[in-house]
Amino acid sequence: MFGPGPLHLSRLAVEKKADVSAVLNAFFNPVDLNVPGLLMQRAVLASGSIPAEAFGGGDSWLTNSIFVALIVMGIILLFTRMATRRMELIPGAKQNFVEFIVEFLYSQVEEILGEKVAKRAFPLLATIFIYVLVSNWFGLLPGVGTMGFAHSEEDLTGPVTLSETAHFTPLLRPASADLNATLGMAVVFMLVWFFITMRETGPVDFLKHIFAPKGGLTGFMWILLVPIFAFVGVIEVISILFRPVSLSLRLFGNVYAGETLLHAMSGMADKLPGAVKFLFDILLPLPFYFMEILVGILQAVVFALLCTVYIQLSTAHDEEEH
Amino acid sequence: MDQLKDILTMFGVTWGKFLAQVFIFLIVYLVLKKFAFGPVMAMLDERKRRIQEGEENLEKIKRDLDEAEAKTHEIIDVANKKSERMIEDARESAETFTNQQRQEAVHEANQIIAKAKEAGRLEQEQMASELKREFGRLVIDTTSKVSGKVLDQDDQERINRETAGQIAL
Repeated sequence: MFGPGPLHLSRLAVEKKADVSAVLNAFFNPVDLNVPGLLMQRAVLASGSIPAEAFGGGDSWLTNSIFVALIVMGIILLFTRMATRRMELIPGAKQNFVEFIVEFLYSQVEEILGEKVAKRAFPLLATIFIYVLVSNWFGLLPGVGTMGFAHSEEDLTGPVTLSETAHFTPLLRPASADLNATLGMAVVFMLVWFFITMRETGPVDFLKHIFAPKGGLTGFMWILLVPIFAFVGVIEVISILFRPVSLSLRLFGNVYAGETLLHAMSGMADKLPGAVKFLFDILLPLPFYFMEILVGILQAVVFALLCTVYIQLSTAHDEEEH
Repeated sequence: MDQLKDILTMFGVTWGKFLAQVFIFLIVYLVLKKFAFGPVMAMLDERKRRIQEGEENLEKIKRDLDEAEAKTHEIIDVANKKSERMIEDARESAETFTNQQRQEAVHEANQIIAKAKEAGRLEQEQMASELKREFGRLVIDTTSKVSGKVLDQDDQERINRETAGQIAL
Protein backbone atom coordinates (compact mmCIF):
# COMPACT_ATOMS: atom_id res chain seq x y z
CA MET A 1 0.00 0.00 0.00
CA PHE A 2 2.72 2.47 0.97
CA GLY A 3 4.86 1.88 -2.04
CA PRO A 4 6.24 5.06 -3.52
CA GLY A 5 9.28 6.99 -2.50
CA PRO A 6 8.58 10.22 -0.71
CA LEU A 7 9.53 12.52 -3.54
CA HIS A 8 7.23 11.03 -6.11
CA LEU A 9 4.15 12.47 -4.58
CA SER A 10 5.42 15.97 -4.22
CA ARG A 11 6.87 15.78 -7.68
CA LEU A 12 3.56 14.57 -8.94
CA ALA A 13 1.82 17.32 -7.12
CA VAL A 14 4.03 19.89 -8.75
CA GLU A 15 4.34 18.53 -12.22
CA LYS A 16 1.16 16.66 -13.02
CA LYS A 17 -1.02 19.57 -12.08
CA ALA A 18 -2.96 17.34 -9.73
CA ASP A 19 -5.09 18.60 -6.91
CA VAL A 20 -4.80 17.41 -3.32
CA SER A 21 -7.16 14.50 -3.81
CA ALA A 22 -5.12 13.42 -6.82
CA VAL A 23 -1.98 13.56 -4.72
CA LEU A 24 -3.55 11.45 -2.00
CA ASN A 25 -4.96 9.08 -4.58
CA ALA A 26 -1.56 8.76 -6.18
CA PHE A 27 0.03 8.01 -2.86
CA PHE A 28 -2.10 4.93 -2.38
CA ASN A 29 -1.78 3.88 -6.02
CA PRO A 30 1.89 3.50 -6.86
CA VAL A 31 1.18 2.69 -10.49
CA ASP A 32 0.23 6.29 -11.11
CA LEU A 33 3.62 7.40 -9.90
CA ASN A 34 5.65 5.65 -12.48
CA VAL A 35 5.45 8.52 -14.88
CA PRO A 36 8.50 8.87 -17.07
CA GLY A 37 10.12 12.17 -17.89
CA LEU A 38 9.07 14.05 -14.78
CA LEU A 39 11.31 16.87 -13.81
CA MET A 40 12.65 17.46 -10.39
CA GLN A 41 12.59 20.64 -8.45
CA ARG A 42 14.96 19.73 -5.65
CA ALA A 43 15.10 23.12 -4.05
CA VAL A 44 11.38 23.26 -3.61
CA LEU A 45 10.69 19.62 -2.96
CA ALA A 46 13.61 18.42 -0.93
CA SER A 47 12.34 18.84 2.57
CA GLY A 48 10.60 22.11 2.82
CA SER A 49 11.91 25.17 4.58
CA ILE A 50 13.68 25.29 7.93
CA PRO A 51 10.63 26.80 9.69
CA ALA A 52 7.53 24.68 9.89
CA GLU A 53 5.03 25.68 7.23
CA ALA A 54 1.83 27.33 8.38
CA PHE A 55 -1.27 26.03 6.66
CA GLY A 56 -2.39 28.64 4.20
CA GLY A 57 0.83 30.62 4.67
CA GLY A 58 1.21 33.66 6.82
CA ASP A 59 1.86 33.69 10.55
CA SER A 60 -0.85 31.27 11.55
CA TRP A 61 0.07 29.24 14.61
CA LEU A 62 -1.28 26.08 13.01
CA THR A 63 1.70 24.59 11.19
CA ASN A 64 2.18 21.16 9.71
CA SER A 65 4.50 20.43 12.65
CA ILE A 66 1.85 21.36 15.21
CA PHE A 67 -0.63 19.26 13.25
CA VAL A 68 1.72 16.27 13.60
CA ALA A 69 2.30 17.12 17.27
CA LEU A 70 -1.46 16.89 17.78
CA ILE A 71 -1.53 13.54 16.00
CA VAL A 72 1.40 12.30 18.11
CA MET A 73 -0.34 13.51 21.23
CA GLY A 74 -3.48 11.66 20.15
CA ILE A 75 -1.55 8.46 19.45
CA ILE A 76 0.23 8.52 22.81
CA LEU A 77 -2.83 9.41 24.82
CA LEU A 78 -5.08 6.95 22.98
CA PHE A 79 -2.63 4.09 23.42
CA THR A 80 -1.97 4.79 27.09
CA ARG A 81 -5.69 5.21 27.67
CA MET A 82 -6.36 1.83 26.05
CA ALA A 83 -3.53 0.25 28.01
CA THR A 84 -4.34 1.71 31.40
CA ARG A 85 -8.14 1.92 31.30
CA ARG A 86 -8.65 -1.36 33.11
CA MET A 87 -5.50 -2.04 35.03
CA GLU A 88 -5.23 -5.58 36.28
CA LEU A 89 -2.72 -7.39 38.41
CA ILE A 90 -2.26 -9.91 35.62
CA PRO A 91 -1.74 -7.53 32.70
CA GLY A 92 -2.86 -7.88 29.11
CA ALA A 93 -0.54 -7.28 26.16
CA LYS A 94 -0.97 -3.50 26.00
CA GLN A 95 -0.79 -2.98 29.76
CA ASN A 96 2.24 -5.24 29.88
CA PHE A 97 3.96 -3.21 27.18
CA VAL A 98 3.26 0.10 28.93
CA GLU A 99 4.38 -1.35 32.26
CA PHE A 100 7.56 -2.63 30.69
CA ILE A 101 8.34 0.82 29.24
CA VAL A 102 7.52 2.63 32.48
CA GLU A 103 9.44 0.17 34.65
CA PHE A 104 12.47 0.24 32.38
CA LEU A 105 12.54 4.04 32.20
CA TYR A 106 11.98 4.40 35.92
CA SER A 107 14.82 2.04 36.77
CA GLN A 108 17.16 4.04 34.51
CA VAL A 109 16.08 7.36 36.03
CA GLU A 110 16.24 5.99 39.56
CA GLU A 111 19.74 4.70 38.98
CA ILE A 112 20.93 8.22 38.15
CA LEU A 113 18.80 10.38 40.42
CA GLY A 114 18.15 8.15 43.39
CA GLU A 115 14.74 7.12 44.67
CA LYS A 116 13.63 10.44 46.17
CA VAL A 117 14.29 12.75 43.22
CA ALA A 118 13.39 10.05 40.68
CA LYS A 119 9.80 9.97 41.95
CA ARG A 120 9.45 13.70 41.23
CA ALA A 121 11.34 13.91 37.96
CA PHE A 122 10.29 10.64 36.36
CA PRO A 123 6.95 11.73 34.82
CA LEU A 124 8.57 14.61 32.92
CA LEU A 125 11.62 12.63 31.83
CA ALA A 126 9.51 9.69 30.68
CA THR A 127 7.16 12.03 28.81
CA ILE A 128 10.10 13.66 27.08
CA PHE A 129 11.49 10.32 25.99
CA ILE A 130 8.18 8.91 24.77
CA TYR A 131 7.07 12.12 23.06
CA VAL A 132 10.39 12.66 21.29
CA LEU A 133 10.63 9.01 20.26
CA VAL A 134 7.11 8.86 18.82
CA SER A 135 7.61 12.21 17.09
CA ASN A 136 10.90 11.10 15.55
CA TRP A 137 9.59 7.76 14.34
CA PHE A 138 6.35 9.31 13.12
CA GLY A 139 8.50 11.34 10.73
CA LEU A 140 9.69 8.13 9.10
CA LEU A 141 6.22 7.04 8.05
CA PRO A 142 5.65 7.21 4.30
CA GLY A 143 3.87 10.40 3.41
CA VAL A 144 5.26 12.54 6.21
CA GLY A 145 7.04 15.44 4.55
CA THR A 146 6.06 14.28 1.08
CA MET A 147 2.31 14.63 0.94
CA GLY A 148 1.09 18.15 0.78
CA PHE A 149 -0.08 21.12 -1.20
CA ALA A 150 1.56 22.99 -4.06
CA HIS A 151 0.76 26.65 -4.45
CA SER A 152 2.20 29.35 -6.58
CA GLU A 153 5.04 31.16 -4.89
CA GLU A 154 3.23 34.45 -5.25
CA ASP A 155 0.04 33.34 -3.51
CA LEU A 156 0.50 30.64 -0.91
CA THR A 157 -3.16 30.77 0.03
CA GLY A 158 -4.28 30.44 -3.56
CA PRO A 159 -5.41 27.35 -5.44
CA VAL A 160 -3.26 24.28 -5.78
CA THR A 161 -0.97 24.45 -8.76
CA LEU A 162 1.58 22.13 -10.28
CA SER A 163 3.78 24.62 -12.02
CA GLU A 164 7.52 24.07 -11.84
CA THR A 165 7.97 27.08 -9.59
CA ALA A 166 5.24 26.10 -7.19
CA HIS A 167 5.89 26.15 -3.49
CA PHE A 168 5.29 22.78 -1.89
CA THR A 169 3.86 22.70 1.64
CA PRO A 170 4.01 19.28 3.24
CA LEU A 171 0.86 18.26 5.05
CA LEU A 172 2.85 16.49 7.75
CA ARG A 173 6.17 17.43 9.26
CA PRO A 174 7.75 15.65 12.25
CA ALA A 175 7.03 17.62 15.41
CA SER A 176 10.66 17.38 16.45
CA ALA A 177 11.75 18.87 13.12
CA ASP A 178 10.36 22.20 14.31
CA LEU A 179 12.45 24.34 16.66
CA ASN A 180 9.26 25.56 18.36
CA ALA A 181 8.58 22.03 19.58
CA THR A 182 12.08 21.19 20.72
CA LEU A 183 12.53 24.61 22.33
CA GLY A 184 9.13 24.25 24.00
CA MET A 185 10.11 20.91 25.52
CA ALA A 186 13.47 22.28 26.62
CA VAL A 187 11.90 25.32 28.25
CA VAL A 188 9.29 23.22 30.04
CA PHE A 189 12.07 20.96 31.24
CA MET A 190 14.14 23.88 32.51
CA LEU A 191 11.16 25.20 34.48
CA VAL A 192 10.57 21.81 36.05
CA TRP A 193 14.32 21.44 36.61
CA PHE A 194 14.35 24.76 38.46
CA PHE A 195 11.33 23.76 40.55
CA ILE A 196 12.84 20.38 41.49
CA THR A 197 16.23 21.92 42.25
CA MET A 198 14.74 24.60 44.47
CA ARG A 199 12.65 22.04 46.27
CA GLU A 200 15.55 19.67 46.79
CA THR A 201 18.33 22.08 47.67
CA GLY A 202 16.71 25.43 48.37
CA PRO A 203 17.91 28.74 46.90
CA VAL A 204 20.80 29.23 49.33
CA ASP A 205 22.30 25.81 48.78
CA PHE A 206 21.73 26.18 45.04
CA LEU A 207 23.69 29.44 44.96
CA LYS A 208 26.37 27.91 47.19
CA HIS A 209 26.50 24.93 44.87
CA ILE A 210 27.17 27.23 41.92
CA PHE A 211 29.37 29.97 43.37
CA ALA A 212 30.96 28.77 46.60
CA PRO A 213 34.39 27.10 46.68
CA LYS A 214 34.20 23.33 46.76
CA GLY A 215 36.51 20.61 47.95
CA GLY A 216 36.21 21.20 51.68
CA LEU A 217 38.55 24.23 51.67
CA THR A 218 38.77 26.42 54.77
CA GLY A 219 40.60 29.49 56.01
CA PHE A 220 42.92 31.44 53.75
CA MET A 221 42.64 29.02 50.82
CA TRP A 222 38.88 29.39 50.88
CA ILE A 223 39.13 33.19 50.73
CA LEU A 224 41.76 32.97 48.00
CA LEU A 225 39.60 30.75 45.83
CA VAL A 226 36.34 32.68 46.26
CA PRO A 227 36.88 34.91 43.19
CA ILE A 228 37.87 31.95 41.03
CA PHE A 229 34.85 29.91 42.03
CA ALA A 230 32.63 32.97 41.62
CA PHE A 231 33.90 33.34 38.07
CA VAL A 232 33.36 29.62 37.45
CA GLY A 233 29.87 30.11 38.86
CA VAL A 234 29.13 32.81 36.29
CA ILE A 235 30.26 30.43 33.54
CA GLU A 236 28.07 27.74 35.10
CA VAL A 237 25.07 30.08 35.04
CA ILE A 238 25.71 30.83 31.37
CA SER A 239 25.98 27.13 30.61
CA ILE A 240 22.70 26.51 32.46
CA LEU A 241 21.02 29.27 30.47
CA PHE A 242 22.29 27.71 27.26
CA ARG A 243 20.97 24.27 28.13
CA PRO A 244 17.56 24.78 26.52
CA VAL A 245 19.28 26.13 23.41
CA SER A 246 21.66 23.19 23.12
CA LEU A 247 18.95 20.66 23.92
CA SER A 248 16.51 22.03 21.40
CA LEU A 249 18.98 22.69 18.58
CA ARG A 250 20.56 19.24 18.92
CA LEU A 251 17.25 17.45 18.55
CA PHE A 252 15.92 19.78 15.86
CA GLY A 253 19.16 19.59 13.86
CA ASN A 254 19.32 15.81 13.94
CA VAL A 255 15.72 15.21 12.97
CA TYR A 256 15.63 17.94 10.33
CA ALA A 257 18.91 16.69 8.86
CA GLY A 258 17.54 13.15 8.82
CA GLU A 259 14.44 14.25 6.96
CA THR A 260 16.53 16.18 4.45
CA LEU A 261 18.84 13.21 3.99
CA LEU A 262 15.94 10.87 3.24
CA HIS A 263 14.52 13.33 0.71
CA ALA A 264 17.90 13.79 -0.93
CA MET A 265 18.44 10.04 -1.20
CA SER A 266 15.00 9.61 -2.71
CA GLY A 267 15.84 12.04 -5.50
CA MET A 268 19.35 10.88 -6.34
CA ALA A 269 18.31 8.96 -9.42
CA ASP A 270 16.17 11.61 -11.04
CA LYS A 271 18.13 11.70 -14.27
CA LEU A 272 17.83 7.96 -14.82
CA PRO A 273 15.13 6.29 -16.90
CA GLY A 274 11.72 5.72 -15.30
CA ALA A 275 11.86 2.12 -14.05
CA VAL A 276 15.46 2.39 -12.82
CA LYS A 277 14.69 5.68 -11.16
CA PHE A 278 11.67 4.19 -9.46
CA LEU A 279 13.80 1.31 -8.17
CA PHE A 280 16.58 3.60 -6.97
CA ASP A 281 14.11 5.95 -5.36
CA ILE A 282 13.03 3.06 -3.19
CA LEU A 283 16.38 1.37 -2.60
CA LEU A 284 18.67 4.37 -2.00
CA PRO A 285 16.88 5.78 1.04
CA LEU A 286 16.34 2.34 2.53
CA PRO A 287 19.62 2.08 4.54
CA PHE A 288 19.08 5.63 5.74
CA TYR A 289 15.62 4.72 6.97
CA PHE A 290 17.24 2.16 9.28
CA MET A 291 19.79 4.73 10.33
CA GLU A 292 17.02 7.23 11.05
CA ILE A 293 15.21 4.65 13.17
CA LEU A 294 18.36 4.46 15.28
CA VAL A 295 18.82 8.22 15.26
CA GLY A 296 15.19 8.61 16.36
CA ILE A 297 15.64 6.52 19.49
CA LEU A 298 19.17 7.81 20.08
CA GLN A 299 18.04 11.42 20.09
CA ALA A 300 15.17 10.59 22.42
CA VAL A 301 17.64 8.88 24.76
CA VAL A 302 20.12 11.76 24.52
CA PHE A 303 17.48 14.41 25.24
CA ALA A 304 16.01 12.50 28.20
CA LEU A 305 19.41 11.43 29.52
CA LEU A 306 20.82 14.95 29.43
CA CYS A 307 17.76 16.23 31.24
CA THR A 308 18.26 13.53 33.86
CA VAL A 309 21.91 14.40 34.26
CA TYR A 310 21.09 18.11 34.59
CA ILE A 311 18.71 17.31 37.43
CA GLN A 312 21.25 15.00 39.03
CA LEU A 313 23.99 17.64 38.89
CA SER A 314 21.90 20.24 40.63
CA THR A 315 20.29 18.00 43.24
CA ALA A 316 23.24 15.81 44.22
CA HIS A 317 25.24 16.64 47.32
CA ASP A 318 28.50 18.45 46.79
CA GLU A 319 30.75 15.58 47.87
CA GLU A 320 29.11 13.32 45.30
CA GLU A 321 29.37 15.64 42.36
CA HIS A 322 32.65 16.13 40.64
CA MET B 1 18.68 41.47 20.15
CA ASP B 2 17.95 41.96 16.48
CA GLN B 3 20.32 39.14 15.68
CA LEU B 4 18.48 36.84 18.07
CA LYS B 5 15.22 37.92 16.47
CA ASP B 6 16.65 37.18 13.02
CA ILE B 7 17.78 33.72 14.16
CA LEU B 8 14.39 32.95 15.68
CA THR B 9 12.67 34.17 12.51
CA MET B 10 14.97 32.02 10.39
CA PHE B 11 13.95 28.98 12.43
CA GLY B 12 10.30 30.01 12.38
CA VAL B 13 10.04 30.49 16.13
CA THR B 14 7.06 32.65 17.01
CA TRP B 15 5.15 33.02 20.26
CA GLY B 16 2.02 31.43 18.80
CA LYS B 17 3.72 28.33 17.46
CA PHE B 18 5.99 28.06 20.48
CA LEU B 19 3.12 28.26 22.95
CA ALA B 20 1.06 25.81 20.90
CA GLN B 21 3.89 23.27 21.05
CA VAL B 22 4.38 23.94 24.76
CA PHE B 23 0.67 23.40 25.43
CA ILE B 24 0.62 20.17 23.45
CA PHE B 25 3.65 18.89 25.32
CA LEU B 26 2.21 19.97 28.66
CA ILE B 27 -1.08 18.21 27.90
CA VAL B 28 0.81 15.02 27.06
CA TYR B 29 2.90 15.43 30.22
CA LEU B 30 -0.01 16.09 32.56
CA VAL B 31 -2.28 13.43 31.10
CA LEU B 32 0.46 10.80 31.13
CA LYS B 33 1.44 11.78 34.66
CA LYS B 34 -2.11 11.47 35.95
CA PHE B 35 -3.53 8.64 33.88
CA ALA B 36 -0.53 6.57 32.87
CA PHE B 37 2.53 6.87 35.08
CA GLY B 38 0.54 7.22 38.30
CA PRO B 39 -1.65 4.12 37.85
CA VAL B 40 1.17 2.11 36.26
CA MET B 41 3.60 2.94 39.07
CA ALA B 42 0.88 2.18 41.63
CA MET B 43 0.22 -1.13 39.90
CA LEU B 44 3.94 -1.93 39.78
CA ASP B 45 4.25 -1.05 43.47
CA GLU B 46 1.20 -3.15 44.26
CA ARG B 47 2.61 -6.07 42.29
CA LYS B 48 5.99 -5.64 43.94
CA ARG B 49 4.29 -5.54 47.32
CA ARG B 50 2.31 -8.67 46.53
CA ILE B 51 5.38 -10.47 45.27
CA GLN B 52 7.24 -9.45 48.40
CA GLU B 53 4.29 -10.52 50.51
CA GLY B 54 4.11 -13.79 48.62
CA GLU B 55 7.81 -14.37 49.12
CA GLU B 56 7.48 -13.56 52.80
CA ASN B 57 4.53 -15.94 53.05
CA LEU B 58 6.52 -18.55 51.19
CA GLU B 59 9.39 -18.07 53.61
CA LYS B 60 6.97 -18.28 56.51
CA ILE B 61 5.35 -21.41 55.12
CA LYS B 62 8.78 -22.91 54.57
CA ARG B 63 9.77 -21.98 58.09
CA ASP B 64 6.53 -23.40 59.47
CA LEU B 65 7.01 -26.52 57.42
CA ASP B 66 10.54 -26.91 58.74
CA GLU B 67 9.28 -26.30 62.24
CA ALA B 68 6.43 -28.77 61.74
CA GLU B 69 8.86 -31.32 60.34
CA ALA B 70 11.20 -30.79 63.26
CA LYS B 71 8.27 -31.02 65.63
CA THR B 72 7.04 -34.17 63.93
CA HIS B 73 10.51 -35.66 64.20
CA GLU B 74 10.63 -34.64 67.81
CA ILE B 75 7.22 -36.14 68.50
CA ILE B 76 8.15 -39.32 66.65
CA ASP B 77 11.42 -39.46 68.59
CA VAL B 78 9.57 -38.95 71.87
CA ALA B 79 6.98 -41.53 70.87
CA ASN B 80 9.72 -43.94 69.84
CA LYS B 81 11.51 -43.42 73.09
CA LYS B 82 8.25 -43.76 74.99
CA SER B 83 7.29 -46.90 73.16
CA GLU B 84 10.77 -48.31 73.67
CA ARG B 85 10.51 -47.50 77.33
CA MET B 86 7.04 -49.06 77.47
CA ILE B 87 8.30 -52.16 75.71
CA GLU B 88 11.25 -52.26 78.08
CA ASP B 89 8.93 -51.75 81.03
CA ALA B 90 6.63 -54.44 79.73
CA ARG B 91 9.57 -56.73 79.20
CA GLU B 92 10.88 -55.96 82.67
CA SER B 93 7.49 -56.36 84.29
CA ALA B 94 6.96 -59.58 82.34
CA GLU B 95 10.34 -60.79 83.49
CA THR B 96 9.59 -59.72 87.03
CA PHE B 97 6.22 -61.36 86.88
CA THR B 98 7.76 -64.51 85.43
CA ASN B 99 10.41 -64.53 88.11
CA GLN B 100 7.85 -63.87 90.76
CA GLN B 101 5.64 -66.63 89.42
CA ARG B 102 8.61 -68.92 89.17
CA GLN B 103 9.63 -68.07 92.72
CA GLU B 104 6.10 -68.54 93.93
CA ALA B 105 5.90 -71.83 92.09
CA VAL B 106 9.25 -72.89 93.50
CA HIS B 107 8.18 -71.72 96.94
CA GLU B 108 4.88 -73.53 96.61
CA ALA B 109 6.64 -76.61 95.33
CA ASN B 110 9.07 -76.39 98.22
CA GLN B 111 6.19 -76.00 100.59
CA ILE B 112 4.44 -79.02 99.05
CA ILE B 113 7.66 -80.96 99.26
CA ALA B 114 8.20 -79.86 102.84
CA LYS B 115 4.65 -80.75 103.74
CA ALA B 116 5.03 -84.07 101.98
CA LYS B 117 8.28 -84.65 103.80
CA GLU B 118 6.70 -83.64 107.07
CA ALA B 119 3.74 -85.87 106.41
CA GLY B 120 6.11 -88.70 105.44
CA ARG B 121 8.16 -88.13 108.55
CA LEU B 122 5.13 -88.01 110.76
CA GLU B 123 3.78 -91.09 109.11
CA GLN B 124 7.17 -92.75 109.49
CA GLU B 125 7.33 -91.69 113.12
CA GLN B 126 3.82 -92.91 113.68
CA MET B 127 4.63 -96.16 111.99
CA ALA B 128 7.86 -96.43 113.96
CA SER B 129 6.07 -95.78 117.21
CA GLU B 130 3.38 -98.22 116.25
CA LEU B 131 6.05 -100.66 115.23
CA LYS B 132 7.84 -100.07 118.50
CA ARG B 133 4.67 -100.47 120.37
CA GLU B 134 3.81 -103.55 118.42
CA PHE B 135 7.28 -104.86 118.88
CA GLY B 136 7.14 -104.03 122.57
CA ARG B 137 3.85 -105.88 122.79
CA LEU B 138 5.38 -108.81 120.97
CA VAL B 139 8.38 -108.73 123.29
CA ILE B 140 6.05 -108.59 126.33
CA ASP B 141 3.91 -111.39 124.95
CA THR B 142 6.96 -113.40 124.16
CA THR B 143 8.53 -112.65 127.51
CA SER B 144 5.34 -113.53 129.39
CA LYS B 145 4.96 -116.71 127.39
CA VAL B 146 8.59 -117.63 127.80
CA SER B 147 8.71 -116.81 131.47
CA GLY B 148 5.15 -117.92 132.09
CA LYS B 149 4.75 -115.03 134.27
CA VAL B 150 2.08 -112.46 134.04
CA LEU B 151 3.83 -109.25 133.71
CA ASP B 152 2.47 -106.35 135.65
CA GLN B 153 2.12 -102.88 134.46
CA ASP B 154 5.55 -101.76 135.59
CA ASP B 155 7.26 -104.70 133.96
CA GLN B 156 5.46 -104.07 130.77
CA GLU B 157 6.44 -100.43 130.78
CA ARG B 158 10.06 -101.28 131.63
CA ILE B 159 10.21 -103.95 128.89
CA ASN B 160 8.60 -101.54 126.43
CA ARG B 161 11.09 -98.84 127.35
CA GLU B 162 14.07 -101.13 127.08
CA THR B 163 12.83 -102.58 123.82
CA ALA B 164 12.18 -99.17 122.41
CA GLY B 165 15.65 -98.12 123.55
CA GLN B 166 17.26 -100.99 121.82
CA ILE B 167 15.32 -100.72 118.59
CA ALA B 168 16.87 -98.08 116.32
CA LEU B 169 14.62 -97.15 113.60
